[in-house]
Amino acid sequence: MTTSTVGPAAASAPAARQASGPAQAWRRLRHQPVTLAAVITIAIIIVIAAAAPLIAPYDAGETDFTSVLAGPSADHLLGTDDFGHDILSQLIYAARTALIVGVGSVLVAMLIGVPMGLILGYKGGWYDRLGSRVMDIADAMPGIMIGFVVIAILGRGTLILIFAIGLIFSMNFARMVRAITLTERKKLYVESAHVTGLRNRQIVFGQVLPNLVGPLAVQGAVFLGNAIKVEAALSFLGLGLPDDQPSWGGMLRTAAEHQVDHPWMALPPGIAIVITVLALNLLGDGINDALSGARTSRKQRKRALHQAPTLAEVEEAKRAVSSVVTTPVAVAPALAQALVTTDKHPDTVLAVRDIHIVADRPDGEVVPLVSSLDLTVGRGEVMGLLGESGSGKSMLAKSILGLLPAGVRVESGSVELAGEELVGRTERQWREIRGKKLGVVFQNPQANLSPVHTVGRQLIDPLRIHHGMSKAVARDQAADLLDMVGVKDAAKRLDDYPHQFSGGMAQRVAIAIALAGDPDVLILDEATSALDVTTQSQVLDLVLDLREKLGMAVINITHDLGVAAEACDRVAIMYHGQLLEVNDVFSLFDEPHHPYTKALLASHPTADHKVDRLPTIADFVTADGEWIAR
Amino acid sequence: MGKLVLYRLGFAIPQLLVVSVVVFSLTYLVPGSPAAAILGVSATPESIALVEEQLGLNRPAGERLLEWFGGLVQGDLGTAYRSGLPVTEMLAQRIPATLSMILGGMVVAIVIGVGVGVYTGTRPGTKADRLLTGGTVLGIAIPEFWLGILLTTVFAAQLGWLPIIGWVPFTVDPWGWFVGLILPSLTLGITGGAIIARQTRASMVRALAAPYTDTLTAAGVPRWKILYQYGVKNAMVPVLASIGVVFAILIGVSFVIEKVFSFPGLGSLMLTSTIGQDFPVVQGVVLFTATLVIAVNLLIDILYGLINPQARPA
Repeated sequence: MTTSTVGPAAASAPAARQASGPAQAWRRLRHQPVTLAAVITIAIIIVIAAAAPLIAPYDAGETDFTSVLAGPSADHLLGTDDFGHDILSQLIYAARTALIVGVGSVLVAMLIGVPMGLILGYKGGWYDRLGSRVMDIADAMPGIMIGFVVIAILGRGTLILIFAIGLIFSMNFARMVRAITLTERKKLYVESAHVTGLRNRQIVFGQVLPNLVGPLAVQGAVFLGNAIKVEAALSFLGLGLPDDQPSWGGMLRTAAEHQVDHPWMALPPGIAIVITVLALNLLGDGINDALSGARTSRKQRKRALHQAPTLAEVEEAKRAVSSVVTTPVAVAPALAQALVTTDKHPDTVLAVRDIHIVADRPDGEVVPLVSSLDLTVGRGEVMGLLGESGSGKSMLAKSILGLLPAGVRVESGSVELAGEELVGRTERQWREIRGKKLGVVFQNPQANLSPVHTVGRQLIDPLRIHHGMSKAVARDQAADLLDMVGVKDAAKRLDDYPHQFSGGMAQRVAIAIALAGDPDVLILDEATSALDVTTQSQVLDLVLDLREKLGMAVINITHDLGVAAEACDRVAIMYHGQLLEVNDVFSLFDEPHHPYTKALLASHPTADHKVDRLPTIADFVTADGEWIAR
Repeated sequence: MGKLVLYRLGFAIPQLLVVSVVVFSLTYLVPGSPAAAILGVSATPESIALVEEQLGLNRPAGERLLEWFGGLVQGDLGTAYRSGLPVTEMLAQRIPATLSMILGGMVVAIVIGVGVGVYTGTRPGTKADRLLTGGTVLGIAIPEFWLGILLTTVFAAQLGWLPIIGWVPFTVDPWGWFVGLILPSLTLGITGGAIIARQTRASMVRALAAPYTDTLTAAGVPRWKILYQYGVKNAMVPVLASIGVVFAILIGVSFVIEKVFSFPGLGSLMLTSTIGQDFPVVQGVVLFTATLVIAVNLLIDILYGLINPQARPA
């Protein structure tokens, strides 16, 4: 890479993202009714505050001594206070105060916090250490206490109040800006900007600041709400604004004095504060969701209920759906089915028959993920399931386990495990299957284990559940299991936590957990993909050993041709949700039948033939969903 | 365990030192001189010099800092400008009421927060979740002192179920102490509870979305065990941090709502001292509060290390 090619591309990247970012965020924002309501509420409050003299029936300081502490009447819609002030008018003028103090203090907080965070995050070193200490001290101080201290030192007054409240929140801004600057600084484009010779100031203003806009908007809205709350609290205590300036907190101060005889007086200012703060908080949440795209429609959430989905599952399903949607699958089944050669096994333990897995998109469209797939696995057999990402192999495995993500379901077909139907089981019925008959190991070795529980605990729990063992017996058994999967000093290591294991060792532990209930079938879902090559073969050897020892079948899902060749008896090729070809591993690699299989094998780099460019696979499915014969 | 405590103390003690230096230097930030602030409009240069002499304000900063630390070690925080009483004594009178209120508030906040958070986090997207999570949004928006006014108006003034003036020392009447704490604790605990509930819900959802949940489910571990044993323990790691944050917030809030419940705590002392610019008292309250927050965060850091093996010193 040279600087001349990296520079301009890198510089244009964030600009392009900025162009699409706010537009996209605005589109999402419009689909959030709550946020929209919050925006309208805030707009109304701003209009009321700005047009206070026009709207308010009485002047701010106007007193009516004929009507003191009166209830609501035609003259005074919300009644009057102890000086005969019209409460409605006070309320309207106080909105002005709240907004001025709130906006002012958020600006002060940003003026202090943003530069501080930028410097700490960008300069690092001593600046950062010193600044972080200052933020630590601020952490040890309740916010309102900072307000007290500033007022004790400087006295009372509107500007001092704004400064005091701004100071309270400035450290929050500094902390946030520092964190974002740190991440941005590490990103490639800032590094490459360095190389192209941009000056520090240009980097900060050109690269880092645009990334701060979103988070600053979110925090700004939330802290504006908080600032209004703090202003109210300080005015309530009599430390805030001068007494002649109407404020919601000051009105509550009067109301508290008359809480026994005139309880209604506390309602209008309190409700005004709640509505304002609530709207600002909801706006902050809404901007946040719009920027991250996290909010799902209500319909989606409702559907998700039945399966108790996890966020990771939803994300995964979205990815799977999007990868399929780009090239719609309407495959002529005949072509695919014709090439499935040896699909029968004399001693079948698992049979998948004509299974259709679909995803329900939020807009109501049903997208096929796996279509009319048949597959059988024999007792003691290692079946490889080979395919690109998005080919539907993981969805197939998840459907066998009954762990399909929210929004994805088996539309039709059956999965039979040792004579028992798996499709359509309830959570309770699954307990008879999971662990006892089916075991699974997922991809990420560390994330597969709970980080805050010992490895022993995570082995002992399934052992006790499946075999009804006492704790002591289960512990011995757990040590034996760990020893069997090749963890040295097994008995001692039971008390270790997952982070104390290497990736390969953690994956061995995950295998031990999967084997705790003596399953008939062990599914490896890309279980060796995250490991380095040496560790990978060791783990595969272990699985083959265990297959010999325990006589279980193994379904090894992988995108790696090497893994399929090394450790499988038979291999099934999947592509775009279809099963293209199943054959024993030697026949498949020697004489592939399906054109896709041929292309796939050809794309695998080997030492024998040296080529300039690695062959790639053009899509075998046209935009119209037709297969292209090659 | 001992190592963990020492390791955390290594963070807390320097923080405490820096805080005390900052608190000491507060008086130097006063425009003019604290003596001028005390004397008000009647101040003349002569009277200011006299008061500075009396209070020792005219001595060099280094000497005064040493004296300040010397006093701190012996539990001496100086003498109040206005009343002439020792600050330590003034604080000691107020601390029981403040600590009682904060204790009650924390209990309510943790019970509500963890309870609601775990309940909603295990069933995201349900009606109950939407209702309760909406409630937490409201709980964060409500000004606590207003909630206090409403609660006393309804339960004390109107219904008469609970006393309006709450504080009874524990040593005088334990039951009265408890009854008097009910409304202040609820008022304090609701906002804190809402913050903890949101954090708990989010980390519960995250914990249950982690791959190990699938590993355990596939290994046949029943869902309730995954939710309440594995999920909750994993979720508690970030929740503990939010409890520390809430503690600091609650102290500040307690200073405000003391007025609503007529509690003789540190808040009213701080209020009068702030208005009267009685700096030794202000410094005393700030130092005490900061020490309390640092101590509680030390405790939380230690708990954090106990729950999260990766946060233990190697």
